[in-house]
Amino acid sequence: MKSNMQKLALALLISVFLARGAAAQPSYKGPMPSGAILDNWHRQLATQARIDEILNWRDDAARKGGEKTVDMAAVAVKLAKHEDADLCSRRVIEIMKTPGSGPFAMFPMTCVAFLGRDQLSPEARAAIRDVWRRTLQVRGDTENHWAMYYSTLYLMSELYPHEPGSSWYTGKSSEESLAEARGYLISWMNLATTIGQGEFNPTHYIGEYAIPLLFLSSWAQDPEMRQRAHMMLDWIFADFAENTLNGAYIGAHARTDDIGILEKWNSLSSAFSWLYFGNCPPPANYGSWPIYFATTANAYQFPEVIYRIGVDRPGDYLQQDLKRSRRRWRNSPVLMAPIYKTTYVRKDYAVGSYQGGLSDPIQAHVWDVTWAVPDPRGRHNTMFSMHPVSSVADMQEYFAEMPDTVISAATNAHKPTYDSPNKLLGCSAFEQVFQDLDTIVALYDIPPGTRFSHINGFFSRDLVGLTEDPSGWIFAQGGKTYLAYRPLAPYEWRPMDKGDKRLYSPHLMNGTILQAADASEFKSFEAFKEAMRALPLAISLEPVPTVTMRTLRGKEVVCAYGKAPIVNGTPVDYSKWKLFNGPYLQAEKDSRRLTIRHGQLERVLDFNNLTITDAVLPKG
Amino acid sequence: MNSPRSFALAAALLLSNGIALAPLGAKQADTYILAGVTEDFYVGKPGAPRDGILRLQPDGTWKHLGYVDNSVMQAAFDPRDPRVFYVTLINGCLRTLDGGNTWRILTSWDYTEPRDVCVDQLAPDELYLALLDGIAHSTDRGQTWHRVENGLPLRGRYTQCLQIDRTQAGRVLAGCEHGIFLTDDRGEHWQRVLSTAATVDDIRQSPDDPARWLAVTQVDGAWNSIDGGKSWTRVAGVPGEKALYNVSFSRFTPGAIALGSYTYGVLVSEDGGKSWTPRNAGLPASHHVWRVGIDPENGRLYASVWQEAIYTSDDLGRTWQRTAFKCERINSFSFLVGGKDCR
Repeated sequence: MKSNMQKLALALLISVFLARGAAAQPSYKGPMPSGAILDNWHRQLATQARIDEILNWRDDAARKGGEKTVDMAAVAVKLAKHEDADLCSRRVIEIMKTPGSGPFAMFPMTCVAFLGRDQLSPEARAAIRDVWRRTLQVRGDTENHWAMYYSTLYLMSELYPHEPGSSWYTGKSSEESLAEARGYLISWMNLATTIGQGEFNPTHYIGEYAIPLLFLSSWAQDPEMRQRAHMMLDWIFADFAENTLNGAYIGAHARTDDIGILEKWNSLSSAFSWLYFGNCPPPANYGSWPIYFATTANAYQFPEVIYRIGVDRPGDYLQQDLKRSRRRWRNSPVLMAPIYKTTYVRKDYAVGSYQGGLSDPIQAHVWDVTWAVPDPRGRHNTMFSMHPVSSVADMQEYFAEMPDTVISAATNAHKPTYDSPNKLLGCSAFEQVFQDLDTIVALYDIPPGTRFSHINGFFSRDLVGLTEDPSGWIFAQGGKTYLAYRPLAPYEWRPMDKGDKRLYSPHLMNGTILQAADASEFKSFEAFKEAMRALPLAISLEPVPTVTMRTLRGKEVVCAYGKAPIVNGTPVDYSKWKLFNGPYLQAEKDSRRLTIRHGQLERVLDFNNLTITDAVLPKG
Repeated sequence: MNSPRSFALAAALLLSNGIALAPLGAKQADTYILAGVTEDFYVGKPGAPRDGILRLQPDGTWKHLGYVDNSVMQAAFDPRDPRVFYVTLINGCLRTLDGGNTWRILTSWDYTEPRDVCVDQLAPDELYLALLDGIAHSTDRGQTWHRVENGLPLRGRYTQCLQIDRTQAGRVLAGCEHGIFLTDDRGEHWQRVLSTAATVDDIRQSPDDPARWLAVTQVDGAWNSIDGGKSWTRVAGVPGEKALYNVSFSRFTPGAIALGSYTYGVLVSEDGGKSWTPRNAGLPASHHVWRVGIDPENGRLYASVWQEAIYTSDDLGRTWQRTAFKCERINSFSFLVGGKDCR
């Protein structure tokens, strides 16, 4: 077996070779990262090599494209590398003539403004500054928008202190904007560290949190804000780490997308897995926004304890976390609903879920099983079911739009499948999910007249041994994972574009049972099937969908739609759910204190006194 | 007023030059529109240069004021000085003191996406703000705000529209998620005066009779009050299955009222609301009308047609002219006469 050092040297060699080669993005197309568990020194070297790969690749692309293709990302990269300052100044002046508006324009401007403090010409710096005077920066309406908006407003207000309202688009002085930004950021941190993150476990939007937090932790002058941002960055990455399987973001998500729910690794989040865990390829263009992250990544030391959680799992683990829904403005008795999230991770598969209902109306993903594959690129390594509802009332619950256009507003804003009956992305108010380890019971009670009142189940082209058993179970194998999927109502198969299949079940009272198991637990696939057939199981659909079963793990489970699930005779009590509860992450609700632990390593993030406390625990 | 023939000629010339239609020589109100020009805007998409606030010029063109912003929703003017006005947009409530040259965002992070703002014409330092989660009040021209929600339900505070009684300072009607609420004491106490199944989209006070009010809703049709908003009766002859977006009374033609609706287009009454007629001939077949407005000085009816253009009618919708002002939607038409907001 190669030593860690040899593996690292090989990886670096490949990286350098590819980075110097064609414009093709090296690690996206290159060999699968080894996933080797490195010691602290070598994993930091490996991370540095990946940061360099991003910067060199982006810089090379800009170089080949000529001056006019040098956009803000390329400028940021060049400034990070301390190259081509004159070119950067010229391009900044040109780009600032039509700078765009809003959070996605603000963080590139802020990044370049800070990296260019001692490199850009006075005219170029003035061009950026003037945009913040003459152009209204749209604040947006989501938490990721606000994280970007207020982090960058904070930083720019600090960069240009004591300037009057007439010099800012807000009409507020530097100090007023700073106070407002600080107020929001602390408010958001308080929410996230007491009752949970709103846009929880987002496969794409993790970047929209990580990037502004990195900027804040790097550049804020106020040491308190720097510390807070550093702690939140740790917090988000710790949450991410526990919810990955070989780098792929698993389980339930408040926000994901149509690609990432099927090709599980293929999300922006994998840029961070690749960067920090080295166990997953990065997405195309490194996810694009993470290029800005790379420009400043050297200012942040990724904690070893989080690295270990991401790559070094000595055994199976169960994690139960508390999150919250997006804010509900209408049609709901609560402003933010609690989200009870369960993740069960084993070496070769993971099962994740939340309890169902609406968390975020457009891009949520309620439950799935993900199985490990040697190389995830092009693989659809997942299985799940969902109710593809499309609802004006649901959308108006979260958006201040008029009813006739609230849906088109979403579909025209890069959420194209929201109003498609074939969609696989989204959550439903008529879905209730219970998870016990690697057993899922998803129940549906869909009112008549609901737009799209069927259930979609996803069956990957990568499954082998797909069998519709006379018992009612559908058996299949994904990777080293045996899967048993039980539709509670009649169904038919609908083909999908890329060779996958959709289980279509047009019954209002409906449900899915899914049981996953490791192939190594059974002598054969046939033995797994036999074990499943032998489990006591009673299903009824009237008056509400109800499942009474024994799981493969020996739990006696009763799930009835609209009632608390019962396990071994005891109703599940969600009111006792902690903020984080698992072997790696521990936090009480409302505590503002997270303990991150792996082996002997421990880091405590305490927002009560703004401390990061590292400890090495006694062996054993 | 010019003859119809010369007016038509002028109109044709203006249209051929690609500028908005305006009656040459005719009196017209000082007119502002709050325009979302960019189609299918989302946060991150560059806005068009004409997104935002535009003011009608004497030559019929629209002059853009202030920032480019696609989300601008409503405007309210200070009766003492029309250069002082307030707008709501996704960032909050903004104020200009100089006719749109400079602005200040008056609200902070805790007030998001306000839907409406009103200036009390009898106490013009006082403003009211419709929020996604309630109502706010300012007594200092928006420098500071405080919540005024006593009497509003714990949930269901989503407020789409506000209208202040022009005859009594501090008397405000609010269109909320499930009905209309009334305060007589500057928001210190609210009481529900109408229950609805879904959001109340607009409330307006008659220019002829201050006791007369009209409201439109998303699924409950239109409602009429003749006692200053204390009690309401459903307006017969107005469909209600789909959303009605806004109301506009005519000050030029007594008894004329227009309603705008994405589904029903333009509905017009010329008898004070006793009977209603769809007036969509000449509009695009889909007649997805976003907002209507009636110029108080000349009776011109404006209709913003979704993802199309502004249309105008000088005969209360019997015939329509398409103007060259293409836009996704106009969120509000504001008319000022003698510097006073005719809202």
